[in-house]
Amino acid sequence: MDDGLILSLAAATFRYPGAARDAVTDVSLDVRDGECVALLGPNGSGKTTLLRLALGLVRPGHGAATILGRAAVEWSRRELARLVGVVPQREETSFPMRVRDAVLLGRYARLSPWSGERPADRAAVDRALAQCDATDLADRWLTTLSGGEFQRVRLARALAQEPRALVLDEPTASLDLRHEMALFERVRALVDRERLAAVVITHQVNLAARFADRVLLLADGHAVGQGTPTQVLTRETIERVFRWPVAIEPFDGRPQMIPLRQPLS
Amino acid sequence: MALCARAQTLSHLRSVGGGIFALRPAAHSTHLAGLLLALAACGTGARPPASHGPITLEDDAGRTVALAAPARRIVSLAPSFTEILFALGAGDRVVGRTTWCDYPAAALTVPSVGDGLNPNVEAVAARHPDLVVLYRSALDETAAAQLARLGIPSLVLRQDHLADVARAARVLGRALGDSIRGDSLAAAIDTFLAAPPPRATVRLAFVVWDNPPIVIGAGSYLDELARLAGGSNVFHDLASASAEVSLETLAARDPDAIVVLTDSTAAPGFAARREWLTVGAVRERRFVYLVGSLFGRPNPRMRTAAAEFRRRLEAAR
Amino acid sequence: MKWLALAGLALAALALAVVLGPAHVPLTELFTSPIVRDLRVPRALLAFLVGGALATAGASLQALVRNPLADPYLLGLSGGAGLGAVAAIALHAVGPWALPLAAFAGALGAMGLVYRLGLVGGAELDPRVLILAGVAVGAFAAAVTTALVSLSDASELRNAFLWLWGGLSGASWDTVRVMAIYAPLPLAVLYGAARSLDLLALGDEPARHLGADVARVKRRVYVAASLLTAAAVAVSGVIGFVGLIVPHVMRTLWGHRHRTLLPASFLGGGALLALADTLARTAVAPRELPVGIVTALVGVPVFTLLLRRWTTA
Repeated sequence: MDDGLILSLAAATFRYPGAARDAVTDVSLDVRDGECVALLGPNGSGKTTLLRLALGLVRPGHGAATILGRAAVEWSRRELARLVGVVPQREETSFPMRVRDAVLLGRYARLSPWSGERPADRAAVDRALAQCDATDLADRWLTTLSGGEFQRVRLARALAQEPRALVLDEPTASLDLRHEMALFERVRALVDRERLAAVVITHQVNLAARFADRVLLLADGHAVGQGTPTQVLTRETIERVFRWPVAIEPFDGRPQMIPLRQPLS
Repeated sequence: MALCARAQTLSHLRSVGGGIFALRPAAHSTHLAGLLLALAACGTGARPPASHGPITLEDDAGRTVALAAPARRIVSLAPSFTEILFALGAGDRVVGRTTWCDYPAAALTVPSVGDGLNPNVEAVAARHPDLVVLYRSALDETAAAQLARLGIPSLVLRQDHLADVARAARVLGRALGDSIRGDSLAAAIDTFLAAPPPRATVRLAFVVWDNPPIVIGAGSYLDELARLAGGSNVFHDLASASAEVSLETLAARDPDAIVVLTDSTAAPGFAARREWLTVGAVRERRFVYLVGSLFGRPNPRMRTAAAEFRRRLEAAR
Repeated sequence: MKWLALAGLALAALALAVVLGPAHVPLTELFTSPIVRDLRVPRALLAFLVGGALATAGASLQALVRNPLADPYLLGLSGGAGLGAVAAIALHAVGPWALPLAAFAGALGAMGLVYRLGLVGGAELDPRVLILAGVAVGAFAAAVTTALVSLSDASELRNAFLWLWGGLSGASWDTVRVMAIYAPLPLAVLYGAARSLDLLALGDEPARHLGADVARVKRRVYVAASLLTAAAVAVSGVIGFVGLIVPHVMRTLWGHRHRTLLPASFLGGGALLALADTLARTAVAPRELPVGIVTALVGVPVFTLLLRRWTTA
């Protein structure tokens, strides 16, 4: 038994009911404590479905999805929320809420429906806010936050779950350079210092290459490559998957991709 | 929609004077026959109209209505008009009635055109009337205008108070070309209403609905009928025909008797409800039941109605 | 401090409802008068319970369908209750509880139908389908009701509408007892789901990631809120705006945290309906206004203000 292994997919295949083809075909993935895995791939390549499989939200048609050695679909949402913190791609904001209350939602899985918040919960919220540099935002309304602040608060909410693994689905999609880099640095720091496992879905090939220990590149639901950034992110593979000419230059020991011009004739 | 339904209900209450009750006609016909026969003394209906030429009338909507000749095919859109027309010996000229027109029994053989309020103009027109008589309400005045566009003359008449019966008798008598009979019925009613009422000995309240409690006020003929029967309505201060009041007010005004218009003499449903027991008359079961069409609308039988009401009030004391 | 003010408001509303009324009761006879004992006190308590139940149900349903403009009747309950009441009259059901029970049954029928329709997409209640189903079932029930009323000769049927919009005049110790025994269970279920409701506002999948069993929470909240609303309709007819306005106001004061929002809504709803009913009984005494008219007269301006704030924010 692999002690550090948290999330695991073994040759997992999934097809949405009524769909003509598999969303994910025969993909394997292991995520361990203290490592950061990036999921890369074009739009519609099955990244989010892969996460849903790994988190037990859907049941694999073939293969297996396990969490700490137990089938993912058997975990109750409550148990799982104590192990994995997720920052989803989108969420709704129809109701006004203050930042502290929003982060407190991360404690849901650790509170009984009838008891109030304990000092430990408040401490966890404060710690999560501090980890995300969001202590000053605590009394603000969510609707008044900038995009970068909002993502920090959502990361803090996931950290308030006190999880062993973090899952982030396109966390920097609408952020500028500074906020994007800061978020990746923050996730990397959590992985290095707190030994958290992190899975990040992103379109940023270069950031994945620089921050992730391993990369899983998906195309049409298939794993095109898996391994260290240098192993996976070769010019041939990227050009094939993204269907665009690129150049690859090493920087700081990691491959960096430069998209080439291809003027319209 | 809610308010509309409420308005409709209240106007309906008003139109039949609290007679929102399905009435059984046959049960009441016997003791009324006397008055009817007296009024329609020589009435077989076959007698030709006393006059033949054009007639000009003014109705209660302030409209001037011209008839080319005495009306021979009349649609009556309120039960009291039907009663008046039969009382004037013109029952055979009534070619359409409402579902509520159940008196006299002969009226039941006339085809019904609906429930009268907000009438179906097409159903009315299908009876080919040369006169339509409508109860005065906003909806009916719209119907009158629609009938006018079809070239069908109509009269809009109030029928809220007992004196309105006399007024309607006069107008309808003229419309029939028989103002002598119309005027004599009207005069009989006027004389009856002008006579001093008996001394009021019973303080009463009409309860026409229990949740919410709705009582009859001074705007209804029932308030007058109570006075003529030796009673006094404890809600005489309410100007409208009917009104929603608090149970608390009813309890505080503490009437000697609760009058219910009903089709049976079973104790009303609210008598079993605990909150109603705060009203003394309910607690002590001092109910007076006014059963049937005699009380359900203002009508030419009011003398009988008042006498019968008085007898029941005295029996309840 | 806010809690103290709210509790004070609730107590003041109850006190006013007992002291004020169309009949003159001297203060010295306040504790002996049967009018106070058997009419005002039960009516004040019933108003409070019904107002509290409606506001709590409203707050919960708003989170369930993720729409702050939802109302406890949104899901077809008033239509079902109206149909039940009219059917009871048409079938000549008698007895003091015939109408309330029939309305309750009608509301439950509508609830079941909407629930079933809400599951059409799968095993989970979809808020959008739920709202559409509620509107459709409500409209259908209203149409059947109106058809019954206009086609039937029994004019008492019209009174079903009076009853349905009639308010609290049927209050007695019996109805208070029924509500007091009945309401705590669904109220407790909603309170127990308070934190889950906080999560639901984020969307189904985010709520799941935070640990909520979304499908079960939705079912529970839907059933409990509907049961509360159905009981409120059965004892007091349809009373609008309480379930819409009160949660709104409380949300601006306390934010979107249902552990505080739900109890605050209960107190606020109770206070509002007790005050509105006092106004309904006394404003045009000896006549009485339907309490729904008073809540609408108060509610619509407040609602307009909130809507403006909400859309400009």
